[in-house]
Amino acid sequence: MNQEQLLKEVNEIFKDVLDNEDVVINFDTVASDVDDWDSLNHIQLIAAIEKAFRIKFTSTEIYQFKNVGEMISSINSKLNP
Amino acid sequence: MLFNSFEFLVFFPVVTVLFFILPHRFRWQLLLAASCFFYMFFKPEYILILAFTIVVDYYAGILIESAATSKLKKRYLMISLVANIGVLAVFKYYNFINDNITGLAGLFGWTNPIPALTMLLPVGLSFHTFQAMSYTLEIARGNYRAEKHFGIYALYVMFYPQLVAGPIERPQNMIHQFHEKKEFCYTRVVDGLRLMLWGFFKKIVIADNLATYTDSVYGNLHVQTSIAIVIAVFFFAFQIYCDFSAYTDIARGAARVMGFELVKNFNYPFRSRSVTDFWRRWHMSLTTWFNDYLFTPLVIRNRDSIKWGVVFALMVTFSLSGLWHGAAWTYVVFGVMHGIAMSYEFLTKKSRKRLSKKVPAFIYNPMCQALTFLFVCFTWIFFRAGSMQDAFYVLRRIPGVFTELSNFAVTNSKPIFDGTLNRLGLIYCGMFVILLETIHYLDNKFQIFSRLRTQRALVRWSVYYLTVLVMMFFASATAHKFIYFQF
Repeated sequence: MNQEQLLKEVNEIFKDVLDNEDVVINFDTVASDVDDWDSLNHIQLIAAIEKAFRIKFTSTEIYQFKNVGEMISSINSKLNP
Repeated sequence: MLFNSFEFLVFFPVVTVLFFILPHRFRWQLLLAASCFFYMFFKPEYILILAFTIVVDYYAGILIESAATSKLKKRYLMISLVANIGVLAVFKYYNFINDNITGLAGLFGWTNPIPALTMLLPVGLSFHTFQAMSYTLEIARGNYRAEKHFGIYALYVMFYPQLVAGPIERPQNMIHQFHEKKEFCYTRVVDGLRLMLWGFFKKIVIADNLATYTDSVYGNLHVQTSIAIVIAVFFFAFQIYCDFSAYTDIARGAARVMGFELVKNFNYPFRSRSVTDFWRRWHMSLTTWFNDYLFTPLVIRNRDSIKWGVVFALMVTFSLSGLWHGAAWTYVVFGVMHGIAMSYEFLTKKSRKRLSKKVPAFIYNPMCQALTFLFVCFTWIFFRAGSMQDAFYVLRRIPGVFTELSNFAVTNSKPIFDGTLNRLGLIYCGMFVILLETIHYLDNKFQIFSRLRTQRALVRWSVYYLTVLVMMFFASATAHKFIYFQF
């Protein structure tokens, strides 16, 4: 799966977790760009992504995600080591 | 030193003028000395507590950064956290824990041999220890480089505007500002002074007048009518908001005059449409602290048990944030109630969202706002009451309002205000609350605060004079300490 496809899949997870069909994310999206993406939902998103891709982030990785793009590259590096 | 004291009226201009006269390289020394002086006004020997944590955290920061292994890093971080929490435990929570041990021992017929300590709580302890911990925590997370300049680090903890009641700062926002050379900037100075003026107005006119009313009700609950008690419950909401946000405004204003920007601490909390929303608008620097260093790590650890992990983390975080305020069960109950409300909101998010789509916004939004406000006022009963007994007594008296009102309508004779309360004071208090909310409304709708900046001199100065005039006429006869000083 390439980064674009990953983004599409992650976008679906966002829609599902945030319960909002209109959410559109790109590589530069940050939490403040998306309604309801707050600290309460953030880890829910992370957990849903981990489950969907069967991967596990370390807590340091989770702290250091600055935008969606960094999250995607981290998923990518775990899927294609 | 209190902001609302004559000492500060001298202290502030002297320090500010000296700050701008001195060359940049001496300024940190001036600010540090001024901050020590400011703190030592309360109880001089307690400066040793600050000195202790500053030295420990300064070296811990350097050691954490240079530690070769993550295990070593963790160890140095633990030393820093134990030192800070240890200071809190001894000076703030020792007697609370000891009292509970005594109570527990009493249940089994034992006596607790550990003696109670008699000492005053160091002012602002919970604020500066939390700020100090955020320094070593940020270094341990790799988000910030350890500060090598001991004096600048000490100033980060001790900077007098926010030393005793926040906002609780982060190293990323503050430390670089102490290194920068600040130029005198007229518009910024005026901006800062204006913010201070608004702070003083809220404190001296609104908060302190309301305090006169709420103190006399909460101080003599048994002689008051239910109506007087309920009014005090609502007034306390406005009192604590004006008191605490005034402190923040004066702190931010005083810092801004010298060219320092402190973080925002309030964002119209009474406009919140949920308790979750409330904590994003009330004491924001504390909420983000708990969010970053306690809530998030807890949720990350328990993220596989998806929903219950969040509920668990909310309950732990809010119980502790209640306890952060004071060493008493009333504060814990306050925190637990907020934790329950946040958990409820978290678990019912989807169904509430669906409901909001069915009910017209002009009904739904004000309803949510009113419910949130009522809930917060309710929890503040525990916050304000001196003990659990008092808090429950207030709750028991609330239903009495309806009987009193119906009696009043029939006989028109039963006095609502007994003892020390008088009608005139009450009317003034009501007016101040309406005034505050009107100003908030206007600012929200027309941005009157930022627009004032660009008005003609005549308009601006009329507003300033009027504010000062109202302050002189309606200043509370008794100056009260800031509520958050005790935390």
